[in-house]
Amino acid sequence: MKKIRWQYIAFRNPYLFALLLLILAAAVNFFFEPDLFTRDTLNSNMRVFLPLILLAVGQAIVILGGGIDISVGAIVSIVNTILATQLGTGASPQRTALMLVAVLFVGMAAGALNGFFVSYLRLQPIITTYASSFLFAGVALFILPAPGGSVPDSISHFYRDTTFLGLPLGFIIIPILLLVWYLVQQTRYGRYLYAVGGKADAAYQTAVPVNTIRFSTYVASGFMAALSGIAITLLTSAGNASIGDALTLSSVTAAVIGGTALRGGVGGIAGAIIGALILGLIKNIISFANINLWWQTFANAAIIVGALAAPGVIELVRRKRS
Amino acid sequence: MSVSLSARNIVKHYGGVVAISDANLDVHTGEVVALIGANGSGKSTLSKIINGVVVLDGGQLLLDEKPVHFSSPQAAKNLGISTVFQELSLIPQMTVAENIWLTREPLNKAGLVDRKTVNARTEELLALFEGTYKNSLNPDITVGALPADEKQIIEILKAICFNPRLIILDEATASLDRRQVQRLFELIAQWKLEDKAVIFVSHRMEEIFRIADTFSVLRNGVTVGSGSMKDISEKELVNLMVAKESASNVVQRERLVQENSTDRKVRLEVENLRTNILKNISLQLKDGELLGVGGLVGQGQKDLLLALFGDLPYEGTVKISNESVHFKNTRQAINKGVALVPGERSKEGLLYIRSILENLLLPSWGKYGFPTKIKKAVQDSQEISTSLNLKMAGLDEPVSSLSGGNAQKVVIGKWLLRKPKLLLLDDPTKGVDVGTKAEFYKLLERLCADGTAILFYSSDDDELIGLCDRVMVMHDGIMRSELKGASLTKSNLIGASLGATNEGMG
Repeated sequence: MKKIRWQYIAFRNPYLFALLLLILAAAVNFFFEPDLFTRDTLNSNMRVFLPLILLAVGQAIVILGGGIDISVGAIVSIVNTILATQLGTGASPQRTALMLVAVLFVGMAAGALNGFFVSYLRLQPIITTYASSFLFAGVALFILPAPGGSVPDSISHFYRDTTFLGLPLGFIIIPILLLVWYLVQQTRYGRYLYAVGGKADAAYQTAVPVNTIRFSTYVASGFMAALSGIAITLLTSAGNASIGDALTLSSVTAAVIGGTALRGGVGGIAGAIIGALILGLIKNIISFANINLWWQTFANAAIIVGALAAPGVIELVRRKRS
Repeated sequence: MSVSLSARNIVKHYGGVVAISDANLDVHTGEVVALIGANGSGKSTLSKIINGVVVLDGGQLLLDEKPVHFSSPQAAKNLGISTVFQELSLIPQMTVAENIWLTREPLNKAGLVDRKTVNARTEELLALFEGTYKNSLNPDITVGALPADEKQIIEILKAICFNPRLIILDEATASLDRRQVQRLFELIAQWKLEDKAVIFVSHRMEEIFRIADTFSVLRNGVTVGSGSMKDISEKELVNLMVAKESASNVVQRERLVQENSTDRKVRLEVENLRTNILKNISLQLKDGELLGVGGLVGQGQKDLLLALFGDLPYEGTVKISNESVHFKNTRQAINKGVALVPGERSKEGLLYIRSILENLLLPSWGKYGFPTKIKKAVQDSQEISTSLNLKMAGLDEPVSSLSGGNAQKVVIGKWLLRKPKLLLLDDPTKGVDVGTKAEFYKLLERLCADGTAILFYSSDDDELIGLCDRVMVMHDGIMRSELKGASLTKSNLIGASLGATNEGMG
């Protein structure tokens, strides 16, 4: 009976584990950085976390639909290099707006390419997007062979220092993401997404347009990667063709910590957002605690291995006990 | 809301394998047509062509006398054709309500899913089967956690939620118990009054005769006969299916008059076996004995077999050949000469994409592996597949190329290669055609004669009565009664299955 109740709680609150971890990470961070909850610190943290949050949301959508997107980091790099080379410090507001919209389409086009391969040509998601990540990384390097470029001060200033209604930008964007997701979940599309990720064969037999749904998850992921690319460009005000490389694994980690099952059909973007926040806080902790930087990579990797192993370990413990 | 559907000269092949070559079917408003055929005869393929899951290669579908072409399940569903799939089309992670309404969710004005309506209408649908499932079944429960019979009910409700005109029931009764089947048949009768048409695919003759108005028989992908149920007998129908006289009278009562087996050794002794579900099960099984386990579906029969195979933690005493054992994993059980033929062969019994040979040898590499004796292994596999009359293109073909009955032979064959002393069978004839069943019964007799002790769970009462020396009837995790000799009759078995307390009185 107890076992069933625990499973029930875990099922009803897939974000429970992530929330606990978030509180723990925030507490440790607070210990090292007592002014963590002041507005300026929150703002400076949020603008650093935001690119990963956006990326993790896209990743979570793909994983929910039963796939995975290893190319998101490279899409971020493409967007970053395009903006840094095409805008420069002196771009007019019109041109800036045009380019920002254009890179969103670039991101979606890259996602559409992945989606086409995976859903219509039925290729393995992990292999396909791993391969396309090299393609995209190559494009980014072609656009900007050496780090450089810049963006107008006005927009990077807007990104870094906007405190709308006294709140850092991240606190505006996260509720918008959650609201959109809440609505998506109420639509048929939302149900289809969970169905395709849960059991694609059964979904197909039930007349769910499986291929279209799969395709759309990669487009959504490409779109989110483009948003993430915009955010990171405004944050750094510079271009670097390998800026997105480190983000890919983190986006998967964030989604997994957030309770999105890698086999698909379970989870949601709220967990991915929490996961991205946790990863950001851990990064903070490591730098504040004066721990060597390679520990950060180690911690990241340890978390993903741990998150992958956790369900299995819990199952094992339960079996031993009964 | 009348409907008629005709399939004319349907052809479908997968690669070089012809699944159906000339299939025909007619079904009209207010009519139940039984689509009958042995496993591998093309019933499933034909029904999947009608519901758009599989695209036909030749022939013509006519809906209301107009030609239609279904390139996807959506197309068929939009024209009012719905299906209860044999392997179920449920998403395990989603709730009952979400599953039932998938793609047909009632929407509110804003275009969002109207949860209130969904839940209310799900309750209405569940009420159709009220009293035949456990009370815990509600719209918000996750489907993956449900037992097989309740999943089946959800699959049926899912098929009727959007008021279809034509309903295909593909082995919809396979995991239902008697009360649930009864309720389904009442519903079918009602659908007929509502001018719906039903295509009923089943192996159970008794049900076909109860519910169908007309029949259509497939054999090797060709429709070999059709007509009114009134004009045909069970024997004639079976003959049409298998095209050989012998397979008709499938279950024989030969084994009941077995020699008294007092001189046989006790192979298995179980005392007070307990698991989450089982309560104090005790039993004794001798060499060469066939002990049946019956009862309604999902009363703990599978748990008993799994516990004995070391695949489920348990408490209590288990002795094999007088030696106390407590299996912690299946390997320990296998090493003691225990074998389990699992219920879901596609999931638990076979590696579908691997070859027949690999599947057969999988549990036996201890024997052939070191040093490798491939020649001997292939030879033994060849022998066992010949003795099982396995119909295949060759040992190197993947198991996925076999029909259901032949795939089941591979599952049995892989354990027979190890010459088990104690064989646990989990509903081995589920979804197997009559011809293969008959062969299987003979095999069981042969194994018993060779001294193998067999614990045989079956959802088919006739099988248990016809084949077993004794039958244990389980109900809600306890052993309700043990039937043998003269008390082993169908009415006693049914009575005990339903949990009736008349056992003590009668």
